[in-house]
Amino acid sequence: MKRVRLDRWASQLQPPRNPRLQVQRCALSHETTTLPRRRDLHQQRQYITQTQWQCQRQPVSSKRKASTAAVLQEAGNEGESEASKLPSRNKKSTTPLYAPSHHTAARSAKLAALHARLSLPPKLPLQTLARCLVDPSADPRSDYNNAPFAILGQDLLGYHTTEHLTCHYPRLPMSVLFAAQYAFVGEATLASVRAEWGVEVVAAPGVEVDAGLLQLKRQVPGNSMVEGTGRRVKDMPGVRALGARLGGGRRNAEWNYRRGVSSRVVFDDEFGDLIGGEPYAGAQLSTSASEDGGAVDVEGGDGTTSSLPTLPQSPDDTEATTVSDASASFVRAVAGALYLHVGAAATRTFHRDHILSRQLDLHTMFNFTHPTRDLSRLCAREGFEPPVARLISETGRLSRTPVFVVGVYSGDNLLGEAAGASLNEGRVRAAAAALRSWYLYSPSKGEIVVPSEVEGMAAAGKGKEWKPQVIDVGEIVT
Amino acid sequence: MPPARTSSLCASCATVLRSQASGTPYTLRSFTTTAAPQSSPAQDQPRWKQTPPAMKMAFRLRPRPNQPEWKVNDQQAPLDEMYDSFLGHAGEAAQGQTGVESTKGRDLLPEEVKWLAITHKSFDHGRRGFNDRLAFLGKRIVYLQTSLALLRSPNPAPQVFTTKKERNNENINIFHHPALAGTENLTSFSKSQVLSPTRLARLAQSYGVDRVVRWKPKKAENLKGSGVETVLAHTVYSIIGALAMQRGGEVAARTARERILQPLGLR
Repeated sequence: MKRVRLDRWASQLQPPRNPRLQVQRCALSHETTTLPRRRDLHQQRQYITQTQWQCQRQPVSSKRKASTAAVLQEAGNEGESEASKLPSRNKKSTTPLYAPSHHTAARSAKLAALHARLSLPPKLPLQTLARCLVDPSADPRSDYNNAPFAILGQDLLGYHTTEHLTCHYPRLPMSVLFAAQYAFVGEATLASVRAEWGVEVVAAPGVEVDAGLLQLKRQVPGNSMVEGTGRRVKDMPGVRALGARLGGGRRNAEWNYRRGVSSRVVFDDEFGDLIGGEPYAGAQLSTSASEDGGAVDVEGGDGTTSSLPTLPQSPDDTEATTVSDASASFVRAVAGALYLHVGAAATRTFHRDHILSRQLDLHTMFNFTHPTRDLSRLCAREGFEPPVARLISETGRLSRTPVFVVGVYSGDNLLGEAAGASLNEGRVRAAAAALRSWYLYSPSKGEIVVPSEVEGMAAAGKGKEWKPQVIDVGEIVT
Repeated sequence: MPPARTSSLCASCATVLRSQASGTPYTLRSFTTTAAPQSSPAQDQPRWKQTPPAMKMAFRLRPRPNQPEWKVNDQQAPLDEMYDSFLGHAGEAAQGQTGVESTKGRDLLPEEVKWLAITHKSFDHGRRGFNDRLAFLGKRIVYLQTSLALLRSPNPAPQVFTTKKERNNENINIFHHPALAGTENLTSFSKSQVLSPTRLARLAQSYGVDRVVRWKPKKAENLKGSGVETVLAHTVYSIIGALAMQRGGEVAARTARERILQPLGLR
């Protein structure tokens, strides 16, 4: 009988080592050159850092609410303080953990599988990926959640999407541009990206759940009934509405103010939607009934008044979010973390692989109210001959289902052609088709160079020649 | 003795026709070949200079409103000066591109784009084009550069802990990495503070953008109530967007960093 070779036996029991993973053992041993170095970096790393505008002492408390309580906030939150996973002797003075610590991230199978499934570069550590999965509603402290990554990632994804749309479709109207931007990098799309990636969502956040799950404090559905009353949550008084934006608000509530499309570029977000007015993600906004006790009004140097927000200390104080919003934050956070750890090229690759690979039918996103009038104005502006609708062919005029194929001509040139059930319908549809063909003009692929391709290191590396892109004057103002 | 009018014209219309100061005389367009778009006949002015003749009436029928007429700049020189002042040395990033002789602001963009970038939608009812799309792209660039600048900005004095044990305990829970330095500065609050329309408008005024921007306020005597700050911020974004589309991302990003964020206090 052969002798048992314990050394070989033990190695076979271990899972095969994944060479893609580089678990960060020493935080300061890996240097990256993505960002310019700051002075006194090593010295400042010793301490907890503060935000530049917010002055906040992190309170030290040992009490922590139970994490696997019911989804409803009102349900019993009283919990015993669970021991954190820190190797500290005095548990009273440790900062509470509301999400799995980064020590457990290295041991999480889900996290490692996600990292490999997305083919993320080894430079992105598992610990950062774990932090990307923590929504601010689960842990409001900016050193523990994905809020900074999400902000950076949103800027990056939005920039790459906008430059793609603007260079490939230079004549797209603004409303369609906003809609296309949302279709590529909006909340709903990123939520389905998260689902396609196979990232699961927790029922409630906590320390003991796996580090590879998306942690958020779920919002109570608006249609659910409130305990003790016969009313739904959404009908209860005190639900906050979209408020004024910080530092210069919209006067939407005024009777003589109408929010137009042009002003959305300056005031609203990249999708043309009103910004909620939260100073930070997970902010607790006061309702009209109660008073915001802790806020201090700060008079800015330029005359704008902004409130210095009071930060929530624990997940009990944060506002719940939806799964869709948290999923979008997660995907954006991954993009932001990629930029910080790996660089701009990796972010562009990420955007190309996960965002631009999605198919979008732009021709279905138009909505014309008076296409014949708009086409007439377009031809007048461009100096074409006025459009004339001509019947190309028809069938079944006296039957129940006639078909008229109408073409809109500018002189001898056919601008657009469509079929309709009546002469008028055919004319209108043909005008709409002509407008779509104008607005969806796309230059040939060899002529398109997006601005980020010649930015920074990319210019030095690839040597792609810059070509000026088509700049259109604008759409017809309807 | 004025010439006899045709019977189809009423007296008031005939008077209007006679008293119309001859601006651009209306010429009949000849419907000839349609192979190429027709330029304005008999004038051949650049597109930014005139509203398309087919889009306007030959004479004005409505009476003029009882308010001072709003005039905008139509000279090339003030516009060029504004671009030189706006871009400064940031245009040097375009050195080496084909077709770039000098990197002054006025030489980086073609004439039509220069005028389009400072034309708001309210000007001439949008008939001469407007800068919405350029502003959309420019704002994305500025926002990204703001985030990156906030990441690079230095922290205030670090919080001092009373005991060494507390300090160690605080550090253990946070994953430290050199690449993640500065993330605590990046909040939506700080971003909105940096890029509020009021601050951008003041910056635009310092570059002279308010002297060349083409727009139409609701009330000429109350520009602030008409939204001049929004228009100026919009124009700043659109200049960045025009640079990005015409000269690439490097020039636009460098302009955003050096000419917008640095004066606003972010390095």
